[in-house]
Amino acid sequence: MKLRFQITKEKEIRFISHLEYVRTIGRAIRRAKLPAAYSQGFNPHMKYSLASALGVGVVSYAEFVELELTEPVHPLEAAEALQKALPRGIRVLAVDAVDNSAPALMSVAGGAEYRVTLPWTGDIAPAVEAFNRAEAVFFEKQAPKAKEKVRRIDVKFYISELSAVQREKETELHFHCRITRDGSMKAVDLLNTLNEQYGLQLPVEKADIERMDLYRVDEMGNKWPMLDTLFEQG
Amino acid sequence: MNKELAINMLAAVKKPARYTGGEFGSIFKEEAEVRIALAFPDVYEVGMSYLGFKILYHLVNKMEGIAAERAYAPWIDMEQLMRERNIVLTTLETKKALCECDLVGFTLQYELSYTNILNMLDLGGVSVLAAERGDEEPFVVVGGPCVFNPEPLADVIDFAILGEGEEALPEVLTCYRNWKREGKPGGRQEFLHRAVRIPGVYVPSFYDVTYNEDFTIKAVTPNTPDAPATVTKRVVADLNNVDFPTAPVVPFGEIVHDRIMLEMFRGCSRGCRFCHAGMVYRPVRERRPEVLRELAHKQVDNTGYEEISLVSLSTADYSCLGPFLDTMIADFKDRKVSVSLPSLRIDAFSVDVAKKVQAVRKSGLTFAPEAGSQRMRDVINKGVTEEDLLHAVSAAFANGWKKVKLYFMIGLPGETDEDVLAIARLAKKVQWKFKEITGKGGCQVTISASSFVPKPYTAFQWAPQDTLEEIRRKQGLLIEATRVKNITFQYHDGKTSIMEGVFARGDRRLGKALYLAWQRGQRFDGWADVFDFERWQQVLQDCGLDPDFYNHRVRGDQEVFPWEHLQPAVNRAFLASEYKKAKQGLLTADCRQGHCNGCGVCQRLGVPVMDWSGRAYDASKEKGFVSLAEKMADGDNQGYSAATQRPGLPKEGGEAE
Repeated sequence: MKLRFQITKEKEIRFISHLEYVRTIGRAIRRAKLPAAYSQGFNPHMKYSLASALGVGVVSYAEFVELELTEPVHPLEAAEALQKALPRGIRVLAVDAVDNSAPALMSVAGGAEYRVTLPWTGDIAPAVEAFNRAEAVFFEKQAPKAKEKVRRIDVKFYISELSAVQREKETELHFHCRITRDGSMKAVDLLNTLNEQYGLQLPVEKADIERMDLYRVDEMGNKWPMLDTLFEQG
Repeated sequence: MNKELAINMLAAVKKPARYTGGEFGSIFKEEAEVRIALAFPDVYEVGMSYLGFKILYHLVNKMEGIAAERAYAPWIDMEQLMRERNIVLTTLETKKALCECDLVGFTLQYELSYTNILNMLDLGGVSVLAAERGDEEPFVVVGGPCVFNPEPLADVIDFAILGEGEEALPEVLTCYRNWKREGKPGGRQEFLHRAVRIPGVYVPSFYDVTYNEDFTIKAVTPNTPDAPATVTKRVVADLNNVDFPTAPVVPFGEIVHDRIMLEMFRGCSRGCRFCHAGMVYRPVRERRPEVLRELAHKQVDNTGYEEISLVSLSTADYSCLGPFLDTMIADFKDRKVSVSLPSLRIDAFSVDVAKKVQAVRKSGLTFAPEAGSQRMRDVINKGVTEEDLLHAVSAAFANGWKKVKLYFMIGLPGETDEDVLAIARLAKKVQWKFKEITGKGGCQVTISASSFVPKPYTAFQWAPQDTLEEIRRKQGLLIEATRVKNITFQYHDGKTSIMEGVFARGDRRLGKALYLAWQRGQRFDGWADVFDFERWQQVLQDCGLDPDFYNHRVRGDQEVFPWEHLQPAVNRAFLASEYKKAKQGLLTADCRQGHCNGCGVCQRLGVPVMDWSGRAYDASKEKGFVSLAEKMADGDNQGYSAATQRPGLPKEGGEAE
C-alpha cells in the first residue's frame, strides 16, 4: 500500500532547496513512525518520493509525497501523525491510499494554478489584454548548462490566459499553466516574457510566486483534484 | 530597525536556508523576561553542529521566562546585502536583533573566528567595544575552550564563563533576571559586580594587566575587591544529573555533523602533551550506559535522524563501550538507525568496534598516530607504537578495509627532519602490511599533516612554534617523500597556523589589532579562501606588535602568562614537569590505569574521575553499586585518593558484588 499526501511549502520555508525539502519530509515520516518500506541491501533507503521539484523561493500549496508502507494504516491517522512531525511551513492538505502498482502521481498532473505578487504599480492592463488576444507568444530560453543552446517555446501553449489585480503598492497576476508529459514552463519565465514582449519592467527578482494548486485534466478539459480525501487537522 | 531579508536578497545568496530558521525543534518564546542569543561566530552549518549550544539551548529554554535563541555569522554574500540595505543581524527564532537581546553569548571554539565576533556584534547593532556599550545594550558573554585565554577579546567582552555551562549559565541568567526585575539598579557595572560573585565568572575589566619592559606579563591584578585573584572553571560533578537535549533542532539542509550527537563522557586522561582539550576538560566523567540509552531513544524519536554518533574526546575509551555498542545496534537495527564513532584508537579493539558499527561499507579507516617517529610520539606522550599501528591496520585489512587515513602533526617541539620523513615511511609500512595480508597491492593511504600550534594549559605552552618558512620547508620534505603511488599527502598552508598561534597565546595588546583587522575587512579567518595573511601582517605592524613575540619566542620557566588568572585547575608544576619529560622522551601513563599523575584537577575541583567499567550493561547487576558521586554526597570525599579510585568494582568481565 502507498500513501499519497498533498502538502505545502509555505512562506517560512520557501527558501529551502528541493533536496532540503525532501530530506525534511523523510525525517518527518520517521518521526511520525509510519511503517515505511525500505529498499533492500546494506544501505537501505526509505521508499518515498516527491512528485515534482519546486524552484527555490516558490511557495506551494500543492506538493505531493508518495510513501510505500509495509503494513496498511488508516490514511487520516497517518496524515495526522505526519502533520505533528512536520516543521512550521509544511501542512498536510489531503491524503489518499493507493495500490503499489498505481501510476506515478506526476504523470497524471495536467495543470497548475499560480498567483504572482509583484511590488510594482505600472499599468499592466494593456499587456494582459495583448497577451490574452495573441495567437502565440514566443519566449527564448537558454538551456541552463549549454549556453549556446536556446529553446524557443510558445508561452500560449502553456498559459492561455492571464488576469491581473492591481492594488496601491502591488500587482497580482493569476494564471493556469499546462503540464504535459514533456514538461511545463516556469512561472518566472512568464514574467520575463511579459517584460520582453510588452516592454514592462516587472521586478522579476522580487516576485512572490505561489503555486496555488496542481490538478488532473480529463479529455473534456475538466479539472480534477489530484487526491480525493481532504485532511483537516483535528 | 530593518530586519527583513527580502525575497531578492535570499534568492541572491548561497544556501538561503541558513538565514530563515523555523526548523523542526526550534523553540519560539515570543514573550520572555530575559532573552539570550547563543551566537556562533561562523556560518550556520558549522554552528548548528556544535554540541555545546545544543545543550545550552535545551537547558535555558526549559527555564520559565527565559529564552535562548540562535544566531550565526552571515556569509560574505549575505553580509554585503545586509550592509547595503542597513539590515540588522537577528536571531533565527523570534527575529530579535542582537541589540534587542539581554545577553549575547558567543562560544570561543577557534581563535580564527574572533573577527567574526566583532562583525556579528556590529551587524547586530551592538557596540563592538565593551567600554562603549550603553545601559540598554546587551551583555556580551563568552564560553568554550578558548575561554582559558580570552585576553585578546578583553576589550570586546563584558564577561566570560569558564568551564561547563550547565550550572553556571542558569545562575548567571537568574542573577540577570533579578537585577532586571529590580529595575537595573547601578547600571551595567552593578550587574557585573553581582555576576562576578558566581564561581567561574570572569570580568576582564575588573583586572589590570601590567607588563615588563620586554612586554611579557608582570602581573594581572584585580582592581576591585569583588574579583577573585584567579577564576577557576566550573564542572558538572555528575553528568547523569544534568539535562541533555532530547529534541535538538533538526536542520533542513545538511550541516557539518548531521546526526544525533550522544555525549558519552567529558574529559580525557590520556595526557597527550599537545592537546588543549585533554587538559581543559578534565576530569573524565562518564555518563551511565542506561542514561545514554534512554537519551538515544528520545533523540531518535524526536529528530528522525538516521545516525547516532557516540561523541567524546576519545570514545573508544568509554569503559563500557563494547556492551553498550551491542545494545545500541540491537535497539536501532529495525529502525534503520546506524551508530558511528567520530574517531578510533590505534588498536585491534577499535577495528573490532569499527567492524560492528560500519557493518559493510568498507570505505576507509582513520587513525591518528600524530607523529611519524617513535621518538616524537614519546615526546608528545601519544603512548602508541609503530607495532600498535601496524597491528591495527592488519586487523582492518584482514576485515576488508582497503583505505587508511593517517593524521599527523608537523612542527612539534624538538622535531627533526628525520622525524618528519618518518611520517612518509610509516605510510609506506602500512602499504606493505596490506600487501603482506592480502597479497595484493593498491592500498590507498592518505596522510594528513597539520601544523602544530602550541596552546595555553598544555605541556607545550612554553614551546616556540615553527616559523612559516620552517613549516613550508617540512611540508616540502613530505611532498617529495610521498611521491609514491597510492599515497596522498594533504596539508594546509601554514599562514593560518601562524595567526592561530598569535591569538592562542596572545595577550590584551592584541585587542587593538583585532579591532583594526575587523575594520579593514577581516572575517572568516578560518576559511582559507577568505583569510588574508598579508593584511593581518600589516595590521600587526601598524599596531606595533610582532607575531614572533607570541609564536617563536622561547618562554622562560618563570614567565607569567597572560592567562594564568584563569584556571582549568591543571597545576603549572604538572605541566612544567610534562614539558621536561617531553624533552627527555619519557611517557606518563593514563591516570585511569590507577596511578594519579598529580595534574591537580580532581583535587582542586573536588570532582573525581567517574568511570563505569566493571558494570555490565544489565540492570540486575547494578544492585549494591555506589557511585563515587553518591559517596561524595555522603561526605565520603577522600579528595586525592577518591579521585584516582575507580568506583570500587572488579574490572571488565568480573561480577558486580
